[in-house]
Amino acid sequence: MKHILTLVTMLMMWPVSLLAQDGEPLRLELTEGVIEPLPYAVPDFISDNAEGAEFGRNMARVIANDLSGTGLFREIPDKAFISRITSFTSPVQYADWKAINAQALVTGSVSVDDTGKLVARFRLYDVFSGGELGSGLQFVGTQAGWRRIAHKIADQVYSRITGESGYFDSRVVFVSETGPKDQRAKRLAIMDYDGADVKYLTDNSSIVLAPRFSPTGDRILYTSYESGFPRIYVLDVASVGRRELESQRGTMSFAPRFSPDGQTVIYSLTRGGNTDLFSMDIRTGNSRQLTSAPSIETAPSFSPDGRQIVFESDRSGSPQIYIMSASGGEPRRISQGKGRYGTPVWSPRGDLVAFTKQAKGRFHIGVMRLDGSEERLLTASYLDEGPTWSPNGRVIMFTRETPGANGQAALWSVDISGRNLKQLQIASGGSDPAWSPLQN
Amino acid sequence: MTYMSKILILCAGLALAACTDADRFGNNNGGYDPNAAAGDPTTPAYFQQTVGDRVLFEVDQSNLTAGAQSTLDGQAQWLMNNTAYNAIIEGHADEQGTREYNLALGARRANTVHEYLVSRGVAGSRLQVVSYGKERPIEICSEESCYAQNRRAVTVISAAPNS
Amino acid sequence: MNTGQIISGAGHLGLIFWALLGGLFSPEPLPVETTDVSMISGEEFAALMAAEQSPDAVAIIETPEPPRIEDAAPDLASTADDTPDLSQPDTTQETPPDDAPDVSRITPPDVAEVSDEAPQLTPPNEEVAVMVPEISERPRERPTNRVAPIPVAPSEPDVRIDDVAQPEVAPDEAAETPQDVTEETAQEEANTRIVTEADSLEPPSSSLRPRSRPTRRPEPVEEPQETQTASDTPDSTVNAALQEALATPTSAPGGPPMTRGEKDAMRLAVQRCWNVGALSSEALNTTVVVAVSMTKDGKPISGSIQQLSASGGSGAATKQAYEAARRAIIRCGATGYDLPRDKYDRWRNIEITFNPEKMRIK
Repeated sequence: MKHILTLVTMLMMWPVSLLAQDGEPLRLELTEGVIEPLPYAVPDFISDNAEGAEFGRNMARVIANDLSGTGLFREIPDKAFISRITSFTSPVQYADWKAINAQALVTGSVSVDDTGKLVARFRLYDVFSGGELGSGLQFVGTQAGWRRIAHKIADQVYSRITGESGYFDSRVVFVSETGPKDQRAKRLAIMDYDGADVKYLTDNSSIVLAPRFSPTGDRILYTSYESGFPRIYVLDVASVGRRELESQRGTMSFAPRFSPDGQTVIYSLTRGGNTDLFSMDIRTGNSRQLTSAPSIETAPSFSPDGRQIVFESDRSGSPQIYIMSASGGEPRRISQGKGRYGTPVWSPRGDLVAFTKQAKGRFHIGVMRLDGSEERLLTASYLDEGPTWSPNGRVIMFTRETPGANGQAALWSVDISGRNLKQLQIASGGSDPAWSPLQN
Repeated sequence: MTYMSKILILCAGLALAACTDADRFGNNNGGYDPNAAAGDPTTPAYFQQTVGDRVLFEVDQSNLTAGAQSTLDGQAQWLMNNTAYNAIIEGHADEQGTREYNLALGARRANTVHEYLVSRGVAGSRLQVVSYGKERPIEICSEESCYAQNRRAVTVISAAPNS
Repeated sequence: MNTGQIISGAGHLGLIFWALLGGLFSPEPLPVETTDVSMISGEEFAALMAAEQSPDAVAIIETPEPPRIEDAAPDLASTADDTPDLSQPDTTQETPPDDAPDVSRITPPDVAEVSDEAPQLTPPNEEVAVMVPEISERPRERPTNRVAPIPVAPSEPDVRIDDVAQPEVAPDEAAETPQDVTEETAQEEANTRIVTEADSLEPPSSSLRPRSRPTRRPEPVEEPQETQTASDTPDSTVNAALQEALATPTSAPGGPPMTRGEKDAMRLAVQRCWNVGALSSEALNTTVVVAVSMTKDGKPISGSIQQLSASGGSGAATKQAYEAARRAIIRCGATGYDLPRDKYDRWRNIEITFNPEKMRIK
């Protein structure tokens, strides 16, 4: 008996002694992994009442669309499931999920409480490691806001696995387009990032162009021909009230963008055929000229810290990308390749600039570093333009227009690695998308 | 706005449908009756069809060709003979460019025309410029034949507010 | 010491291994691991929630009733009252563009799209659906969802996609021992780098190599060898363990050194499951060194996996980088790595450096 006890003790000690006593471990260095979508499962959220059941299914679908839509994750369809989630609090049968190679598992419950609020909970499991990634969370919201709750859960899953914040609970403002090319009707519209819930902010009686969100997402800057001339307007998203920001007779103003603190607007102003950059204090209306060159200076974009501006200028003879201080001064050219460069947009992290490039009769969306190095073209088509960054800097949305008399503009998105190129499914044509920050 | 409104009210009074209809960017016979007006050299229809209301530009260029200059000479002459009218010069670009850059490019073209007309004696106060960039093509194919027609500056005649 | 004692000693050693490997290293997690989840009560859950909630109301969102933007849309008709703005095409909001004179150019899809009042998501019309990147006749790298060190051509349609390519092993009727029927699997189609739409316009510098035959040999069937020893243990598993223990040369501790080929094979085997595709760019800048202890049959011991060091990233990025490394070791080792059994001491403990440097620019 004593021997047995000793043996058991030895056995229990074994793994420790393995590490402690043995000689040199085998050392390996891996430098090349694979890049492939991570398989996951998201069974319908369970519900203890019939009211919640439909939400449970719909929310699981929205979460799956969010995750799979990134191209980073691949959903395992529920017909492959071996075990069912019947209770949110029961232990997960890891073996059943391992068997179908579900590396991540999202479970959840949803119910409607006494006050009519939707209460949703979720947990995320790392199946092969046999544990939870983070802890369970509960969300409470209105029933009408069920999509937003689902997006928030998907954002949580995304950030817990990838290590960066998500972008699903966000919106996109864009120009909805209808009608043939030479009679195109344009109006400002806003929707969820995934194309759901489109709402119109203006009618289609005037041309509208290139909207941009304020840093908090509550206001939108855009250009409209309402007065007969292009002028910039600021629109309050909640009330849809709008006012003209800049109106000097004999000038055109366009390409407005907010500074990161929301206090300043930079824009292009054309006078006597010459277009320069200006900045305006949005409260006082005082404006200041930032460039004064006979060339075209337009399409500005602030750095995330608000100190610099990247913009497009044809001072060299063709449109190229430049960076200068937000207060003006000598710009330095960053685009180095052959071709024409335009519509630079600073990435949310501050390390990249997305741009439109025109070369050899085709248009590309690309990214480059701030010194113009590591240029990488992500797309190629007859006409791609106007990139906008997802709030986490992982995805770029842009306008793609097809050629010919029946040409249509549509919204597309692509991962900054160049993968997962796809078209957003919306009812009308669309152009000039601008991504909001993550909503609160 | 009030200035514009006056122009437009008068414009409507003269029944110049071309100022108002959706085909104002169209390349011909917008609202004019060619039989009634084109023969009369004092009408906007004459200006549009006989003098020529537009000039075309090379790719990325805003300088005037010899042909364009001769058209604009005619425009200047007509404007000086018909002081009851003012003009808005619309600059346009083809679709081969980014939206905001093309807006600025169209403005350059319109301004070139503006400056030329002024240099030929038209009072600057009678002229306004606006750019539509690539927003209003008149030809919709995606070939050079169409692009060439879209790279244009169009002089749109309207009744002067105090005539 | 006579032969019998050696055999007896070895037998006990084998028993220890069996007890160790057979019991503690069960691939199935013990139910105990999950009880902390199941035992949680509603109150505890709520308390947990409260603790987890960050002050920025991540946990509880108040979703305000979305503003009825459509209703509040600016009505130009009202502004047109004081100044009849005839320059506007038509102030009637509902006038669809196909009232415009040039009807001939309106294509059917445009007409369908005129219903721009409908905020509902509708399926794309056909015109839109055919807008796929043009594909020429020439062979080229095709955009795939997967990037791997070695390109993998598309597999045959009836082959299941797996992390490890395995040849089909059909049951051999003649075999006396039961044999696992192995379904043929193939690795998912992959390029050696991300091929963007812009890239795919250019002809490839080299064509995609056809998928090589799976290099992994079928699991050798463990045939119980006739043992000369008189063991009184009836349990055949113990017998096998004993046999295995006997087979391990004791004269040279650790056995001969691992060959370069053996090390490479192990490295490649883990790389196949090291999926960095879902990592943030910061996590892709993080190198982690992970230690793992192995069972004798080449399986990683999940509980032994630990991070030894990390460099280049913040806490969160390091965590994700480590988790991806851990998943790689566990997943591809689920059926045991193909390591030389006679050199167990050489690979009993493994330290793997996961350096994603080359993956950043794929």
